[in-house]
Amino acid sequence: MKFLIIEDEAGLRQNIADYLNDDGNICECCDSLKCAITKLSDYVYDCVLLDIGLPDGEGFAVLDFLRNNLRNESVLIISAKGSLDDKIKALNIGADDYLTKPFHLAELKARVEAVYRRKTFSSNNTIIFNEISVDLNGRSVEVNGNNVTLTRKEFDMLLYFIANKGKVISKNAIAEHLWGDEMDVHDHYDFIYTHIKNLRKKLMDANCNDYIKSLYGIGYKFKA
Amino acid sequence: MKLSDHYNKASIITTISVLLAGGVIYFFAITFISKVQLDRDLTEEIDEVKEYINGNNRLPTQVEFDEDVTTFIKTDQTAFKRRYFDTVYVNPKEKKQEEGRAVEDLIFFGGQHYKVMVTESREATEYLVQIIALITLVLMIGLLVTLFLTNRYLLRGLWKPFYNILSELKAFNISEPSDFNLQDNKVDEFAELNQAVQIMSERIKNDFQHLKHLTENASHEMMTPLAVITAKLDTLIQDESLNPAHYDLINDIYLAAGKLLRLNQTMLLLVKIENKLIEGNEVLRLDNLIREKLIHFQELLNTKHITVTEKLIEKEFFASKYLVDILLNNLFSNAIRHNTPNGQQYITLTPGKLIIRNTGALKALDAGTIFDRFQKGSQSEGTGLGLTIVKNICNLYNWQVSYYFDQSLHTFEIVF
Repeated sequence: MKFLIIEDEAGLRQNIADYLNDDGNICECCDSLKCAITKLSDYVYDCVLLDIGLPDGEGFAVLDFLRNNLRNESVLIISAKGSLDDKIKALNIGADDYLTKPFHLAELKARVEAVYRRKTFSSNNTIIFNEISVDLNGRSVEVNGNNVTLTRKEFDMLLYFIANKGKVISKNAIAEHLWGDEMDVHDHYDFIYTHIKNLRKKLMDANCNDYIKSLYGIGYKFKA
Repeated sequence: MKLSDHYNKASIITTISVLLAGGVIYFFAITFISKVQLDRDLTEEIDEVKEYINGNNRLPTQVEFDEDVTTFIKTDQTAFKRRYFDTVYVNPKEKKQEEGRAVEDLIFFGGQHYKVMVTESREATEYLVQIIALITLVLMIGLLVTLFLTNRYLLRGLWKPFYNILSELKAFNISEPSDFNLQDNKVDEFAELNQAVQIMSERIKNDFQHLKHLTENASHEMMTPLAVITAKLDTLIQDESLNPAHYDLINDIYLAAGKLLRLNQTMLLLVKIENKLIEGNEVLRLDNLIREKLIHFQELLNTKHITVTEKLIEKEFFASKYLVDILLNNLFSNAIRHNTPNGQQYITLTPGKLIIRNTGALKALDAGTIFDRFQKGSQSEGTGLGLTIVKNICNLYNWQVSYYFDQSLHTFEIVF
């Protein structure tokens, strides 16, 4: 996938690019509205990550540009402004999703994939990872063709792992993904452990390879 | 007491006292003037008597003196100072006792001293005084009635612009962009007041806008470094050369950053609620929201083996879904976090109340401070703002929230 990251915070921009690049994606970066419009005029991207608060204006201008030129890029807003008004405004003028800063890179990756998937494969919505096949529309999982019954949270967790395959995901990121960041989740880590144990057991009972590796104290890694 | 009533009171008291004082002054002045007048008349009478005696060489008879009564008494006194005095006498014409004014003098006639006394009726004067008292009384009543009516109808009309301004001020909402609907006024004071209110409200709204922007900017400025920290940590843990000791350190940083984030979010939310910046109220089904929340928390409840007993009726109300979500999140996560393993949680929704009870430490919390900012148990890892938010959301919608410890259950009750 080809990304355009429009973000004025250099540290953040680089980390996002590095994280996404690992998957064989190509990331280009911009730190201003002007640069973004120039790049978007010249090239086509799969997905645009857009910060609203840019030094030379509001990122909404990029959305207007894309809409006016009938462009097909998915747009994921990454903004520190978490107010409902901003979210609604952004989604109304063509953004596909809205992520409030700060966010975990794993969450960003999962959202980007979801947005991209929604836009490209609307009919056949199945993700395949080796022997695991996830049907997004039916919210069902098959391993080697055999159905595995997962709870809602286990299903979400599996999707999250697959989106971030090969990456270490912190317990924080998992907790926030499953229960939202409006909730105090720091004392829910035990629950995550239990959940992951259950998910792992269900997959392995269906003769799936053990892809979930625990990294002591910090989190988990889903790796083939 | 209304201003017009105050004004009424003051004006009535002053008018009555002025009228009373005037009446008293009138009374004395007229009494005095009439006395002087009577005395002058009596002096003339005496002089006439003297002239008569000198001219006719005999004492005049009563008939010749009309209503006045003149008496002559022989006396041995040779010197007598003329004196005037009030007396009661019988009016010969009307044949009745009357108040009178008399003068006594000494005259010398035919080698004999006589004490002559002329008495004149005072009735006319009395009558005048009575008339004046009556007029004063009538005036007083008339004035009172006029004052009352003016105050009631005229003043009320005059003050109408003031009450207009007052009702506009009462309806003033800082977060609404709409301006005052003030009517032009010909009265200088009210026109000035209108202007002052207008200027003040504009200034307040400006300040408020600045505050709002400051809040948003503060949020932006603090969230960006937090985003950088999180992104760097997320990147750092990808490094395979890290050992478990490093992971422990990183985990602590994650926790601290997470706490900072929640604190920041919570403070911003509090500011927003307190300034009523949350909009988008809609009709909500509270029972359904609670059921959704229970599903959301299902895994957490299961892991801690908490049994939930719910008794919900259908309940619709008008509020912001965002805030009600936060309210339920905070109450439910508290009820789970502070619960004992294998504990109980009871949720009861009645038409007027939402009651959430849970087992937990067998000690009541301080109901007086539990909703204050940064009040939390020493074991609690929360921000200490969760219940403050609950309280503020309830305040926003005029719900009463209270805590009590009853039958070993920690109980939070919201009365709608």
